[in-house]
Amino acid sequence: MMSIKEADLMKDPACSTGLSNYLLKDHPDESKWADCVHCGMCLESCPTYEITGMEQHSPRGRVHLIKSVAEGKLTVNEQFMDPVFACLDCRACTTACPADVEVGGLIEEARGQIRQAMPLTGLKGAVSKVFLQGLFPHQNRLNGLGSLLKFYQKSGMQKVVRKTKLINIMPQHLVDMEAIMPEVKEPVRKKYKDVNVIKAKGESKREVSFLTGCVMDVMFSDINEATINVLTRNGNDVTIPKNQTCCGALHVHAGDRETGRKLAKQNIEAFMDSDKIIVNAAGCGCALKEYPELFREDPEWHEKAEEFAAKIEDISKHLYDTGYDIPKAELKTRITYHDACHLAHGQGIRQEPRDLLINIPGVEMVQMPNSDRCCGSAGIYNITNPEMASAVLDNKMQNVPEDVEMISMGNPGCMLQMAMGVQKNGRNQKIVHTVQLLDWAYQKEDGKGER
Amino acid sequence: MAVKGIKSNDRHILNLANIVGDARSIIYHKEDLIAYDCDGFTLHKHLPKAVVFPKNTEEVAALVKYCAEHQLPFLARGAGTGLSGGAIPLNGEVIISLMRMKKLLSVDFENRRAVVQPGFVNLKLTNSISDKGYYYAPDPSSQYCCTIGGNVAENAGGAHCLKYGVTTNHILGLEVVLPNGDIVEIGANGIPDEPGYDLLGLLTGSEGTLGIVTKITVRILKNPEAKKTVLAYFDNVEDGSQAVSDIISAGIVPAALEMMDKTAIEGVEAAAFPVGHPKDIEAVLLIEVDGIADGLDEQINQILGVCRKRNVREVRAAKDEAERGRWWANRKTGFGAMGAISPDYLVQDGVIPRSRLPEVLSRINKISEESGLRIANIFHAGDGNLHPLVLFDARIPGQSEKALEAGSACLQVCADVGGTITGEHGVGIEKREEMRFVFTDEEIIAQTDIRSVFNPDNLLNAGKLFPMPGRCVEIKKEIKERSS
Repeated sequence: MMSIKEADLMKDPACSTGLSNYLLKDHPDESKWADCVHCGMCLESCPTYEITGMEQHSPRGRVHLIKSVAEGKLTVNEQFMDPVFACLDCRACTTACPADVEVGGLIEEARGQIRQAMPLTGLKGAVSKVFLQGLFPHQNRLNGLGSLLKFYQKSGMQKVVRKTKLINIMPQHLVDMEAIMPEVKEPVRKKYKDVNVIKAKGESKREVSFLTGCVMDVMFSDINEATINVLTRNGNDVTIPKNQTCCGALHVHAGDRETGRKLAKQNIEAFMDSDKIIVNAAGCGCALKEYPELFREDPEWHEKAEEFAAKIEDISKHLYDTGYDIPKAELKTRITYHDACHLAHGQGIRQEPRDLLINIPGVEMVQMPNSDRCCGSAGIYNITNPEMASAVLDNKMQNVPEDVEMISMGNPGCMLQMAMGVQKNGRNQKIVHTVQLLDWAYQKEDGKGER
Repeated sequence: MAVKGIKSNDRHILNLANIVGDARSIIYHKEDLIAYDCDGFTLHKHLPKAVVFPKNTEEVAALVKYCAEHQLPFLARGAGTGLSGGAIPLNGEVIISLMRMKKLLSVDFENRRAVVQPGFVNLKLTNSISDKGYYYAPDPSSQYCCTIGGNVAENAGGAHCLKYGVTTNHILGLEVVLPNGDIVEIGANGIPDEPGYDLLGLLTGSEGTLGIVTKITVRILKNPEAKKTVLAYFDNVEDGSQAVSDIISAGIVPAALEMMDKTAIEGVEAAAFPVGHPKDIEAVLLIEVDGIADGLDEQINQILGVCRKRNVREVRAAKDEAERGRWWANRKTGFGAMGAISPDYLVQDGVIPRSRLPEVLSRINKISEESGLRIANIFHAGDGNLHPLVLFDARIPGQSEKALEAGSACLQVCADVGGTITGEHGVGIEKREEMRFVFTDEEIIAQTDIRSVFNPDNLLNAGKLFPMPGRCVEIKKEIKERSS
């Protein structure tokens, strides 16, 4: 855990008033809140405001609070921390905001100040440490654990997880996935360890690099395999640069910007030779695109981060933009689509994945009302703020149509959370990643899918 | 009996918490309260004593009764999007937030009415009944988030109020908690024009000074059979505003007739919902007609004929509902969009006779030049309801004051040409003093006398709607002395 060093203390105040109570570097950016005119158009977009009806738990309220610290009206303390950390960082407010106020960035910067000034203690501290420092940055440890399930047991988090019933659903969830997907046993980074380039099937049109993600590759390696399949099927040679690591999204969300920067630097270097980097996890994609935010005070790395961010592309958008084979086999299923926050609000990707899905013969898409409303997963929010996360999930589940077989989406965190929602509400929908359905259709077309 | 989780020694906080029943229904720490120190009007900021979140009418009544008994100033707040400061706790009020009373209670399609709680969001009503072909007509630009309770308090208007009327024309009944805690129903049967005084009319637009509305019966309308929407671009403001005046005097009543000037266009195009308005035009009109499908083309042609006479440069018709939606999003987020070109803004709300539009706009332009502050105009041109947006930077010493002066000067112009100082945003704190532009002291006293009937101790939302008492009280005293 970090401590406040003399060197970290700011020479310049965080705000032109000179009264700022942000005393550390990398403070919330005045130019971000200067755009907010307090109109309130963000209010209804915010899941935590919807649930509490309290304005300190609304985007406008949070921006007002963050600004108030800079104006010297408040200090960085427990009471300030509560609304700032209760934010899901879902970015729905940035979609709603007429003035493009970057609330997400402000929240993350404020969390950075809080975490530096007030390191976490107790259970929350332990959870955060195990997840953020002990696990995600270390691919070998993740692999060693083999699955998140085992990790839960070993890290002593089992109780927490039992409470949320995750254990009850995980095996079933994986069984369900296995029933429809080719079996994959090992992470793709392990599987393709000795392969420099996974060649396109047929004519090679371009080369792309693949960021496998940390959790994704261990828990959902079948989705990574599906991603590689749809890429190579559509003329992409795929490389998996070896030194890549966790994207750092969860660290940045939790206010640990220093670790976030460390991971960012490693990824920027790992992908130095890539022209395009494909991501299949919305949360990672959004965080990678926002690397420049982490280096606002470091011009050299800022420039590198800008170059890096320009190369990031979500798998659905990549396929949509570069063209892909529309599968010929028929899937005959009714599905609905959930917009992952960091895809829809974070990256503005809404139509592309829907197009991929409805172009699969036999797939019938039922519109989910408020499909871009957060499911409550929000990184490790469902573990740090279980009560709020559960209330957000309940609201989400009310919008999931009854008469569909599957709920498709583009983010692993959402997949776990929605699986929990399905379980909790006694529903029976299967949770799938967009590329899984596409890959499944290809497999069926090639005669491999029928088992 | 103390409520668990309350960390306060203040007996009022403890007692208020008792009424709402749990620690999650009251806030009283400074860090939480600061989000309530202003509403959509940001030039006055005051911390409330506490914010309480009642779940039902009985809790509201109990809270009000407590405040009245202990002489604690209090006020009601919905989404806090008001633009004149009506929900700002000037006197350190206890804020009664109605955001946990946000249900649609019933819809009666046969008699075309719906009953909502005050915290129910305006647009949600239309969204809840649109599949049956109905909608709620008053559509303030903040309808995505503002509450119907707040709309009643401010008698909110909106783009389509030109043809369909403002909130007061759509209110059929109210349940109100009076400032002494009594619960009364007005227009209980939802029948318009009940005999006796028009109390619904008095309460609607009373800016939260006469009572707290806890249940609202509103009129709902059948969707028009068809709509047509066009944009008309003008090379000068004069032509654009003359066209507005001509359209109305030709006897056409569009559903909406909106105007934005060059600075406003710069703002909305720089913000989150740009639609590609040409950069070099001086004014754009957003015109919508609705009704029976058959007559609409003729109406549009008539309107375009008027525009051509006024040298319109280009006219675009919305291709489909999606494009129409984008145009309206661009217009309706216009105020917030000013954030993209200015750190702060102050919006005014004057009303003028339409025929005076060109003259008034040029006088506003002059105010802008003299104050050195940019003024954007986004407004309901059709009903002469102007919204000059004074752009400023509160961080620069003196600019806030200058902005207030410029805003006030705009209202003086409106009053001078026979108009008034507010069309739909209310007086609040912002336009208290400007009430003198349109009312004599005696007329103001007559109104505060009405307030005293409902709100004798002036504990409910004091300091709003009327000029600060100083002078008034003296005059009142003098009048009393003279008459006795």
